[in-house]
Amino acid sequence: MNKFTRERFKTGEEYSRALFFLSPFIFLFSVSLFQVLNLTLFQGNKYQTIAESNRIYQKPINPVRGFIYDRKGTLLVENIVQRDLYVTPAYIEDYPTTLLQLSNLLNVPYELLEENFARSKKKINKFDSFPLVKALNEEQIAKAKVNLDLIPGIEVKATLKRYALHKETLAHILGYVGDISSDEIKRDKLLVELQNTQIGKTGIEKEYDLILRGKPGIQTQERDVKGKLVRVLDTQGAEDGQDIFLTIDQKLQDHLFKLFENRRGALVALEPKTGLVRALISSPSFNPNILNSIVDVDEVESLFSNKESPIFNRAISGQYPPASTLKPFVGLAAIENKVISWDKKIKDDGKFYVEGDPRPYRGWKENGHGRVDMRKAIAESSDVYFYTIAFDLTLSGIRPMLDSFGFGRKTGLTDFEANGLLPDKKWKLGYKGDFWFKGDTINLGIGQGYILATPIQLAMAYSGLANRGVIYQPQLIQPEDEASYKPKKLAEIKLSDTNSWEKMERALIDVISARNGTAHKVFDTNSAVIAGKTGTAQIKSILPGKEYDAIRENPALRDHALFVGYGPVKDPKLVVAVIIENGESGSEVAAPIVKSAINFYTRVSNAE
Amino acid sequence: MRNKPLSFSIDIKLNKRRNLLNFDYSIISTVLLLGFFGLAMIYSASGSYALVLKQASYFFLGIFLMVTAAMSNFRKMEPIYLNAVWIGFLFLILVLVLPNSGTANRWINLGFIGFQPSELMRFLLPISAAAYLTRNPQINLSDWIIVLFVTFLAFILVFLQPDFGTSAIVLLSGIMPIILSGLPWRFIIYSFLGGIGTLPFLWLSLMDYQKERIYTFISPEADALGSGWNIAQSKIAIGSGQFLGKGYMEGSQSQLDFIPESHTDFIFAVIVEEFGFLGALGLFILYAYLIHRLLYVARRSNSKFAKLVSATLSIILAAYITLNISMVVGIFPVVGMPLPFISQGGTALVVNMITIGIILSLRRST
Repeated sequence: MNKFTRERFKTGEEYSRALFFLSPFIFLFSVSLFQVLNLTLFQGNKYQTIAESNRIYQKPINPVRGFIYDRKGTLLVENIVQRDLYVTPAYIEDYPTTLLQLSNLLNVPYELLEENFARSKKKINKFDSFPLVKALNEEQIAKAKVNLDLIPGIEVKATLKRYALHKETLAHILGYVGDISSDEIKRDKLLVELQNTQIGKTGIEKEYDLILRGKPGIQTQERDVKGKLVRVLDTQGAEDGQDIFLTIDQKLQDHLFKLFENRRGALVALEPKTGLVRALISSPSFNPNILNSIVDVDEVESLFSNKESPIFNRAISGQYPPASTLKPFVGLAAIENKVISWDKKIKDDGKFYVEGDPRPYRGWKENGHGRVDMRKAIAESSDVYFYTIAFDLTLSGIRPMLDSFGFGRKTGLTDFEANGLLPDKKWKLGYKGDFWFKGDTINLGIGQGYILATPIQLAMAYSGLANRGVIYQPQLIQPEDEASYKPKKLAEIKLSDTNSWEKMERALIDVISARNGTAHKVFDTNSAVIAGKTGTAQIKSILPGKEYDAIRENPALRDHALFVGYGPVKDPKLVVAVIIENGESGSEVAAPIVKSAINFYTRVSNAE
Repeated sequence: MRNKPLSFSIDIKLNKRRNLLNFDYSIISTVLLLGFFGLAMIYSASGSYALVLKQASYFFLGIFLMVTAAMSNFRKMEPIYLNAVWIGFLFLILVLVLPNSGTANRWINLGFIGFQPSELMRFLLPISAAAYLTRNPQINLSDWIIVLFVTFLAFILVFLQPDFGTSAIVLLSGIMPIILSGLPWRFIIYSFLGGIGTLPFLWLSLMDYQKERIYTFISPEADALGSGWNIAQSKIAIGSGQFLGKGYMEGSQSQLDFIPESHTDFIFAVIVEEFGFLGALGLFILYAYLIHRLLYVARRSNSKFAKLVSATLSIILAAYITLNISMVVGIFPVVGMPLPFISQGGTALVVNMITIGIILSLRRST
């Protein structure tokens, strides 16, 4: 008899025990079903969103940045192709080996690669690529391309880089571009979609960035888990940036820039009748391409740490004592306030005393200029004459006239200007903690003391003289049709006697044309007639018992040389302000540049 | 009333012909449905015809072996069943001795075909154990001890491969017949407590990757891009399927390879992503119905051997289903276990189908 049949009726509690031991699984099974319900129905929308973001990759399409031209259509800034070596960390299995391979292949120090790799890797998603070696040369491109397949995770990508054709010449006007920083994104959320492009950091590049940059497009891609493109779902093309035409005259700019060689200083040249800026120089300058595409970090660092501050735009942000170039405005204030008449003469024996102060205010010429009227005082730059009228005018007599010519205020040319400084009693009390003394007014009379002006402010003020009181908004963007361009008036100064304009102009012409003029050295019969004023700005006040000769031993303490002028006087085409830091003599170093600018502009630039 | 003496002899004669094809067709059709559905899902998950073709050939081999086993008379198979476990041991030792690539020795390659001996063991062991325990009308304590010893031997061999998931299943498949055959409850409780006592030692003997899986289960968010990635992506796939799913071959998580092991262990995530909650519910019902029908055999059988074998194999099958799904939905640690009849993998499919066949053959003892 079969054993199985024997025990057929002897079965016990197998089935109930089976159910008992099945129960934990039944329990897990039920919990699983509930979990599926929870994930699909209760949290379905959330997971749907995550699944979509897993799948969809929004690839930005970068717009092409607009070019920059000068007023005549000369190309100033363009985009050039640069080939960079990109790496994608996700595809690199063993990065020291890869970096070593690349180091040998491209002849780049391993430490440099490692540093770049470590720095960039932290910032990005591991499936995104970043540039490891920038601006490959021809040999490196060839070697990299041949070995692309052998080293996983690397590729050579061509990107457009900003390129300033005239390098140092226009650096401060144009500015430079750079990668978007996280701070900038915080301030402007729009920048998020511009990742991987460069935006303007200074100058025109920054100020007109919105116009130049264009609008990025977006390609909606479906990508697999490895980040590989599966298909393109949608493409929205980029809108390229617009070109910009500047008021700058490249030829004039180039011509003047050469005159600044090895000198620290600034120049602003603009058309008094329109406010269009034709040249703007700050020296020393820098090559913006070093910053447009940062290849060598050390080079950039030395640029920023340079003691001569090549990046600083002296023409709009440099603040200097205007010195004697302020005299025409003080003079006009005195005439308007009837403190003095055009013909009244004042004896200048080189010293000016204030009652109760035994210390004299000295003029620049030891024994003075003798008896001087306004015309002679301007031409010879008599300090004592202006001490006298400033003393009589008092601060409240001088300030309104200086204010109406725009001193102490931004001209509105760009966002990066300095204010300059037109001091008053309140300012002195607040910043210096002291009262305003008569001596402060006397110093203000010759443009020294607390007053500070930027070169652009000086040029603007002189354009007011050239225009008989009208000052136009300065600007850097070329109007489409210059002939019909109607500039905005920034100020219109009315004098009680309109003849005063001519009289002051005659005095300013004398500065060069008259034998006794401070800038007569630059006079020549071939030149256009120029009205202007020299200035020598002291940066260190001369203490009693210490002569200037002792001070000038230190070149950094030497006086700044200034000249501001316009011409040709009959039909002023250009007003030019020049400052040469520590240049000492306005007539010797600054005036020739102004003369050259006006002659060049009238002869060469406008001849075309 | 079958045991009426008068009708007894007639009954046997009539049954002999009819019984050969007297299967529980609801079980067979459920298994076939799951198998075909599995082939379709493997295609969706892998996109590879070759893989589907390979799996399909295992599936048809499985159908053949299932029907063959179902038609067999288990009463005549007794000596085979009693000694079948030695074949399992032979392969388990072979797999450890033979050189193998990779970190785990799980596969035996017979040139034309490869299979996992541990999968074989988990159904040979309970059958042999049941046969051994029921060879005499009375079960002695020594019988249970011997079965227990053999079970531990098998467990250790699989654990050494190392394969934590399957070794636990092998352990369960050997212990289940002992417990079901009437081991007194106090022994069960003692050994359960004893088992808990050995847990710390078990933990120490785990491989690093096995420990990591348990850490991952405890806090999957801690390492979302590392080992928690699998579970996170699996949950995203399931959740994003929502009520009706994204449609066959339309699941982005599976089609773009975000789901790991999508055609093997994690195929359930693909199913829910593409067929939604409704699809998952359908699958749950199918599995529940299958287990219910298989247990019915254990309930209705009047053979102790049949009861032990069918109950144990049903429980093992239920364990596979449950552990796989609860792992994929993220309520259980990741253990490498396929989803029965659906996951790609030849040995598991064939073994599961033979299991069904054997249970079907036992049914005819009722």
